[in-house]
Amino acid sequence: MKKPITLAFLAMALVAAGLAQAPPAAAPPGGAPPAAAAAPVAVPITDADLKGIEAPKPELRLKGDPDGALTGTVADVAVADPITDKTPKAKGLTIADVVNQIGQNKIGINFTWTLMCGFLVMFMQAGFAIVETGLCRAKNANHTMMMNFAVYSVGLLAYWLIGFSIQMGGVGGVANLGGAPTLNSEYAITLFGKSMGLFGQNGFFLTHSGTYDVGVMVVFLFQMVFMDTALTIVTGSCAERWKLVAFVVSSFMLGAFIYPLFGNWAWGGGWLATLGTNFGLGKGYCDFAGSGVVHSVGGLSALAIAMMIGPRLGKYTRQGKSNPIVGHDIVIVLLGCLILAFGWFGFNPGSTLGASGNGNLRISSVAVNTMLAGMAGFFSSMLYMWMRYGKPDASMSGNGLLAGLVAITAPSGFVNPVASVIIGLIGGLLVCLSVEFVDRVLKVDDPVGAISVHGANGLWGVIAVGLFADGKSNYGGSWNGVSGSVTGLFYGDASQLVAQLIGVSTLIGFVFVLVFVVNLGIDALVGQRSSAKSELEGLDLPEIGQLGYPEFELKAKA
Amino acid sequence: MIFIGLIITLLGFALSVASLGMASSVNARLVMVVAGIAVSLFGIMGILNPAYLKNAIWRK
Repeated sequence: MKKPITLAFLAMALVAAGLAQAPPAAAPPGGAPPAAAAAPVAVPITDADLKGIEAPKPELRLKGDPDGALTGTVADVAVADPITDKTPKAKGLTIADVVNQIGQNKIGINFTWTLMCGFLVMFMQAGFAIVETGLCRAKNANHTMMMNFAVYSVGLLAYWLIGFSIQMGGVGGVANLGGAPTLNSEYAITLFGKSMGLFGQNGFFLTHSGTYDVGVMVVFLFQMVFMDTALTIVTGSCAERWKLVAFVVSSFMLGAFIYPLFGNWAWGGGWLATLGTNFGLGKGYCDFAGSGVVHSVGGLSALAIAMMIGPRLGKYTRQGKSNPIVGHDIVIVLLGCLILAFGWFGFNPGSTLGASGNGNLRISSVAVNTMLAGMAGFFSSMLYMWMRYGKPDASMSGNGLLAGLVAITAPSGFVNPVASVIIGLIGGLLVCLSVEFVDRVLKVDDPVGAISVHGANGLWGVIAVGLFADGKSNYGGSWNGVSGSVTGLFYGDASQLVAQLIGVSTLIGFVFVLVFVVNLGIDALVGQRSSAKSELEGLDLPEIGQLGYPEFELKAKA
Repeated sequence: MIFIGLIITLLGFALSVASLGMASSVNARLVMVVAGIAVSLFGIMGILNPAYLKNAIWRK
């Protein structure tokens, strides 16, 4: 009995510590009046101030610059009207040049940050690919890898053609990235007397309506890799029996229409984002990096399609008892989990879409929250499996890590470290319970546990924002057009929780149905499930024409 | 049954959205949205999934 009591005490202590930070301090300890904040002093700069600034002498530069003191000086500031031998009366360096350079530096920093984070998220494709492949049987290795590879191409093209404009074509301009005023056409309807955005209309092919623009390109790249993450979640749940042609069509539809639609509602100025301005519900639906937009959409799509195509042959007995089907390479599974954890540093901190200005220094807090929740998820799932089954299940521990990361994705920008640990601990437990529920009660076959990792924990992450957001974040003074910081139920704003739950309801009640209907159509047109003969043989040869491991002879156990 | 399951799942969503127009207090909206989520979950787990399990491959 001691262990549960100790764990309960630990959990209570964590909650208490987290909530202790809830009320803002009215006065400092001791009752002393708060010191008046020093007023910023404006220092006027004139052209005369720039007179004494000189570039390093060329002969000095010819000796090299081992300590870096001569590199990156006034000589590197772009001058609009430079003084040369032919233009001795030109203005030379002016205040305007300096200010322009500062502005470009800020945007340059934000471009670099967002693009680098996007590249990290792209690398998560590798993590997903080997996690899913390792959890499948060797006879399907090539098929599973191929799906993960193909989804990058299919998703990208679908998103470039149609998806991006639907998602971001309405209100996709981001001040951190210099704004993108051409993403400004949102189709909206009027409901309950309020304008509710449904989808964007600018940005088709990244050329339509002036969207051939450097800022738009950054937004596109970052949003595209997020979309692809959602698509690749489905391939895991449907692995080992999904027909390749059905997968291609389904992924295209998800990347072109379904994901972007919810993405617009949450991130593109759609009706969920405006729940705050229209109906006074907190700051509207808040999903910092996509627990709902990316992971729940992926996880619920996985549930819909896995339910439709049915379990793998041999997964359940005639009495409906679940048989475990073990993956072929736990080593690459855990390596994949670590790659995903690394990529998550692009996913969450990158979602500030900048590192300079507008409260973006909070990237450090977002990164630490991400790390804490992921490890807390790993710890609680490992502990749960150890206590329940006597061994710390490696693949489930890996899923616990991912569950913690998925759960913190939405709240990562709005919560403190203690809340992150609580969210991660719950996420790790939730994934274990959900995997058992999906497998034994729903009898939906999910070879990699993606429905639980991404679906269940994505929804938990969305709800967690409404509970744990501490009102301390400040990204330019407002969120979704409502001034102030995102604040959850435990910190005094119950309406934020309502906004989050409306998001959850939209995911379960609308996105799930849309995915289901679209895939019913695909099932009728091309069929979703591979033949029993192909499945028994392994999908590598029948579907791809090449074995994943040709040098190995696969033998049945005696 | 599949069609009915989908309709009920969608109804749950409609109930949640309706809370925006039919209620103005946070508590009333909260109740309606939670009810909507419950209806949707019932549609998926209580109707849609059993409809598929009825003809599941492992029963054959």
